[in-house]
Amino acid sequence: MSATAKTLIMTFSFLMIAVSFFIGWWAKKKVTSSEAYFGSTGMFGPFTVGLSSTAAVASAFALVGVPGLMYSTGNAMSFWMLSSAAFAMAYLILGKKVRAMAEIGKVASLGDLSDLRYNNNRVIKITMSLTLFLGCVAYLAAQIKAGSELFGHLLGWDPLVAGFVIFGVLAVYMSISGEVGGLLTQAFQGLVMVIAGVVIVVAFYNITGGFGEVLKVTSQAGTVTANEITKEFSPDMLNAWGSMPRTVAMTWMLIPILGTVGQPQVITRMYALKDTRDMPKMGLYTALSHTMVGLLTMVVSSGALYLVATGKIDPLVKGDRAIYAMADYAGITAQLFVYAGVLAAAMSSASLFLSICSTVVSRDIPSALGFKFEPKKQVQISRISMLVLGIISIVFSVTQGEMVGILGTFGWGTLMSATFPVFVLGLLWKRANEKGVMCGSITGLALNIASFAGFKWPGVLPWYFNVITISIAVTVAVSLITKEQGLSRKLQAVIDL
Amino acid sequence: MDLSSKKTAIIVITTILWLTINFLGWNDYYLVSMYLGVVLMLLYMMLGIAKQGILSKKLFFYCLIPWAVIWVASFTLADYYAALFAGAMPSFTILGFHPSFASTVVGYWIGGMLTLTIMYYNLKDEWLSQKDWEDFVKKIASIDETEKGGAQ
Repeated sequence: MSATAKTLIMTFSFLMIAVSFFIGWWAKKKVTSSEAYFGSTGMFGPFTVGLSSTAAVASAFALVGVPGLMYSTGNAMSFWMLSSAAFAMAYLILGKKVRAMAEIGKVASLGDLSDLRYNNNRVIKITMSLTLFLGCVAYLAAQIKAGSELFGHLLGWDPLVAGFVIFGVLAVYMSISGEVGGLLTQAFQGLVMVIAGVVIVVAFYNITGGFGEVLKVTSQAGTVTANEITKEFSPDMLNAWGSMPRTVAMTWMLIPILGTVGQPQVITRMYALKDTRDMPKMGLYTALSHTMVGLLTMVVSSGALYLVATGKIDPLVKGDRAIYAMADYAGITAQLFVYAGVLAAAMSSASLFLSICSTVVSRDIPSALGFKFEPKKQVQISRISMLVLGIISIVFSVTQGEMVGILGTFGWGTLMSATFPVFVLGLLWKRANEKGVMCGSITGLALNIASFAGFKWPGVLPWYFNVITISIAVTVAVSLITKEQGLSRKLQAVIDL
Repeated sequence: MDLSSKKTAIIVITTILWLTINFLGWNDYYLVSMYLGVVLMLLYMMLGIAKQGILSKKLFFYCLIPWAVIWVASFTLADYYAALFAGAMPSFTILGFHPSFASTVVGYWIGGMLTLTIMYYNLKDEWLSQKDWEDFVKKIASIDETEKGGAQ
């Protein structure tokens, strides 16, 4: 890459960081209560919340890892990335009930929702918070590592320095304006990702002539070798399943689709919406922006396959290079938006997960343990914890590569196992009682830790599928065999809505 | 359709579905697992959209059922065309895609997204009308009043 290109990419990306910081700084005037700081509760319209949801869901893994997997193993992973229907499904299942909870009590975090639903049950709140923390730390570390290494490599900086420049700024604006700043900057970053998608789609059609040409060359290329790296092509790699076991493809359909309803970045956005009746409109915005991100991943993997199959570039050392190979071949406009888009994806997810980690540590767990603070004091504590956690995460992510890799297997499935019994079962089914959800949550946390420690599950299903199934089954079974619990009239009204 | 008295049965069915899909997944029955996954999602959505236990027929027949049919067709065609053209360049393409992947793109992605998202938007009053919301807010206010009165 030329020095001019590097300078332009750096300028463009840092401009995006500067705009994010400005938005985060400006947002502090909207922080008028602890509910605003921790949850943006009932504050924003469907366009802003919709873009923010897409940006928070589409992490750096979606833009870098997914096209990499599709380059290496074919289309199985597309079931995950083409899951744009999942947002409407999540809102249909849980949207009005989660938003209605904010009408019956103060809701600024997932812990507050748990308190309202389960009579301030401490065990449920703590176990859910710990599992959430585990999943969020995993995501946060992966985002910081990806962003720091990319820009460290690009600019010739130490990744730790790059990490502090990019994510240090993020920690500062998140500390200042909390979820309000987080949500607004995520909406801006989502817009950057959508524009990056449009640019790379245009570049893809200019370079390849379309998907038909990609299918033709990948069917005929056979084996391509250069610089001692070999890429095997086959006519089957671009069918629906690719070369992974098809059960994995099944998991990558079911877990992202149903898992969306259990992701904190989706649930928290349900109560951030000002008018509940705007949720269907939010579903439209979220689906459209997610569709653009899905298309981006498709054209990147297809474009990289085309370039290698036609000998225009050498086979990639790692699949994860697909997005950069495609952008570098397409030229400076694509490079500007793609690098900024990857950075936007990393920052938007990192800000959301930093916020949730901080809320868990400074608010939900202390309150479950009986420590109560005045709202103003609470915000002050959280500001400090956001900064401290931000700094620890940057140092940990950049210096503990192997541990981040292990943590990287956590994330989506872990978060789903934390929230599904508590919220999906709890808000759809009056019979879900404290004992059932407590047992389901403890089981989920224990099995997540066991999997982290290396427990091997039977079959080729990803481990988190087993954990989710067992925690749901335990919740339902224990709820059924224990005494039915009376619900408050307000809670009944929410579940009946 | 009144689901009030059937909610526990539906939750039990969804739990059995999770366990069945998990077991089938261990044994590599991916396609039947995907079909059961569609049923699982359908049941959760039915529970989610029911108002006072009543399932809107419009939402069910114009939003959920078309979505479910499109997804089942998409998975079936994806598998059929993958087997038909295994190891060979397909004899035709759809929008340039392998026919197997085209069913994912057209059915699972675009079809699923459009049926759920557009119909959800079009039938938003069936999901939650202004009156439903206002009634809910009034009910909460009235419960608050009663509880306040009781406390005094």
